Amino acid sequence: MNLLDVAGVSYFIGDLEIIKDATFKANDGEFVSLIGPSGCGKSTLLRIIAGLIRPTKGKVMYLGKEIVEPIPEISFVFQDFALLPWLNNVENVEIGLSRSSISEEEKRKKALEILRHVGLSGFEYAYPNALSGGMKQRVGIARAIVSEPKILLMDEPFSSLDELTAEALRKDVYTMLKSKDNPVSSVIMVTHNVEEAVELSDKIVVMAQKPSYVKKILEVKMGRPRNKYSKEFRDYVNTVYKLLTT
Amino acid sequence: MGILSLIGLLVFDTLASWIRMFIALGASILLGLGIGIYAARRKTAEKVVIPIVDILQTLPILAFFPFVIYVIVATLPGYIGINAAVIFLIITSMLWNIIFGVYEAVRTLPQEFLELAALYKLNKWKRLAKIYVPASMPKVIDQSTLSFAIGLFYLVTSEIFSTANSTYAVKYGIGVELTKLAISNNFAAYAIGIAVFIAFVVATRLFFFAKLEKYYTRYNAPIRLKPLAQTRHRQYAAFAHAIVTHIPRIRFRTENKQQIDRVYTPKPEKKIISSKAIGYALLSVTILLILFYRPFSANEGTVLASLAVSFARVWLAFALITIIAVPLVVYLLFMSKHASSYLLLFQILASIPATILLPIIVTALKGLPMHDELVAFTVYFLSGIWYVVFSTLANKAYIPSNMLEVKRIFGVRGIEAWKKMYFYAILPGLITGAVTGIAAEWNASIVAEYFTTSAIGSGAVITSVGIGIGKLLDTSLDSGNLSLMLLGLLNLTIMIVIINRFVWNRLYRKIEAISK
Repeated sequence: MNLLDVAGVSYFIGDLEIIKDATFKANDGEFVSLIGPSGCGKSTLLRIIAGLIRPTKGKVMYLGKEIVEPIPEISFVFQDFALLPWLNNVENVEIGLSRSSISEEEKRKKALEILRHVGLSGFEYAYPNALSGGMKQRVGIARAIVSEPKILLMDEPFSSLDELTAEALRKDVYTMLKSKDNPVSSVIMVTHNVEEAVELSDKIVVMAQKPSYVKKILEVKMGRPRNKYSKEFRDYVNTVYKLLTT
Repeated sequence: MGILSLIGLLVFDTLASWIRMFIALGASILLGLGIGIYAARRKTAEKVVIPIVDILQTLPILAFFPFVIYVIVATLPGYIGINAAVIFLIITSMLWNIIFGVYEAVRTLPQEFLELAALYKLNKWKRLAKIYVPASMPKVIDQSTLSFAIGLFYLVTSEIFSTANSTYAVKYGIGVELTKLAISNNFAAYAIGIAVFIAFVVATRLFFFAKLEKYYTRYNAPIRLKPLAQTRHRQYAAFAHAIVTHIPRIRFRTENKQQIDRVYTPKPEKKIISSKAIGYALLSVTILLILFYRPFSANEGTVLASLAVSFARVWLAFALITIIAVPLVVYLLFMSKHASSYLLLFQILASIPATILLPIIVTALKGLPMHDELVAFTVYFLSGIWYVVFSTLANKAYIPSNMLEVKRIFGVRGIEAWKKMYFYAILPGLITGAVTGIAAEWNASIVAEYFTTSAIGSGAVITSVGIGIGKLLDTSLDSGNLSLMLLGLLNLTIMIVIINRFVWNRLYRKIEAISK
């Protein structure tokens, strides 16, 4: 059984078809990227997977069970961080433990621990707006993984950041996700950055638009860590570019 | 009376009211342009005008109406006097935000425009006509719609206001007509009157302000080309926008404005006077007068007691408003799927100034124990509630856009959702609503606590609370006791300034510090 199955998902707003028959799957341990031109409905598709939006046709299944609303096993990282400005960082992370029945003290302990894990020691009691973009997204990621979800959905998590910050964070995120004690077994990331997709993914789902459909699913069979300047890497980048532009 | 002649009469009366409104609006725009441009271009004027306007805009000036009548009717004879007083009063409700709008528009003019004027040696009048006035007009129109909505409340309240003295009441006007209908128990006609009034409000928005807005923002067109969502609520939204009861969001904006200025002005200049200084000056003068001026010292006890009782009424009404408005707003903002339909309904309801309902409230509550207290409480409640509802709703733009998605993804529910999300999300709007809503309640005090129909015929005191500042102001007008009236106004003013300074401003700054 697949960890996640996206089966023939279509989405309409009124008569307008936004997503047409999207189908792909994510297995245990896989990092999947959804790539496509801006405004093609990638973020909408990710929200359908999260259970935030119901598809018009088709369904999304987690371990064979249809997702009709957000479930604890699937978590989400937002493009613009979506931190609550009136809560400090540790309180924001605790939002991620809302469903959990553990005591408040244990929640605080866990939240502090995960904040240290994402490199925010010393900023636990600061308010989000005192932080830089990269640090805010670290809080966003901490909130998303503190509840130990199986699947992590990320909606252009690095696109609000400047390139240097994004690169550092990408590396950290990848190391974190691949470390042994990490419960997240699969990541689905929406991006429009080709290099980012090739660098991180095991599988790239290339989408085309109007309406959005899955043009091609590309397996990235390349060892890690990946060297951006290697011929193999450039070949993958070129293939994805070609798929996106033709 | 036939239905047609009734409607004819109502339209005639509403037209009389609207003439007052438009004279006041015209005067406010001219004054606003003059004062606003002057304050923006002259450093010394700026340092005096802006702090004063800052205080004036938070005062319940309607409470000054008895005083204004006293002074103006004494100078101008008969119906000219009372109409001048009404129009003057409406101007005091419309003017302040227009001044701020003009001031902001001129202050934020690109330096190049002024260099251009210098380069071509434009004289003072050319500069006004070609640069300052056109640059201010979009803001003026925007603020005028708000002014008109606030002005309606003042208009109606001053029209239904009457004391034993018939020269202190206007003769024609929708407020007068509706009072007559209500006290003669002609409720069907009263309902038609309200409908005519609402029709005038909607028509003014659609055929006057919407047209003006379009004209004066024509060169800003591209900014307005935001794609509208393809929903079936779109027409609703457009219509709702057209009649939207603009709710003041100006109270604290001026402070932000000063902060912005500080960023752009290399050397922050010292104000000659601050609103703080005005407050202290007012306080010390009043204390001195109370101590050494006999008529004041003799009455201070009565005034304080009246103020305390009214304060209790106003704040109790506000407590009830909060209890009702907060869940309602949270429902509309975060839960309802038909929010825009409800909003349209509320906007229509809110376009009816609470005081115009006073005659019908009096009748509806007839026979109940503590009748006069209930009437006052109901009028206070209705005067304040829409300010709280709409400023809280207007705060929507500042709520993190993904908050609801965060809530669903992480399963934040029940008390936790209220504690960590809804409460903070609506708090800034709630505070703005509190300041404006409570000011509106105080404004209503001169009719809510004491209301007679002597001037329009029947000679009866319709409702009168035991003690209260509104009643004190009205009855001191009746008895011509000017010093008591002034003492009441001074006490009320000082109380409002103190509460604004030490409660609302502090709270607001605290919230702003974290949620910006």
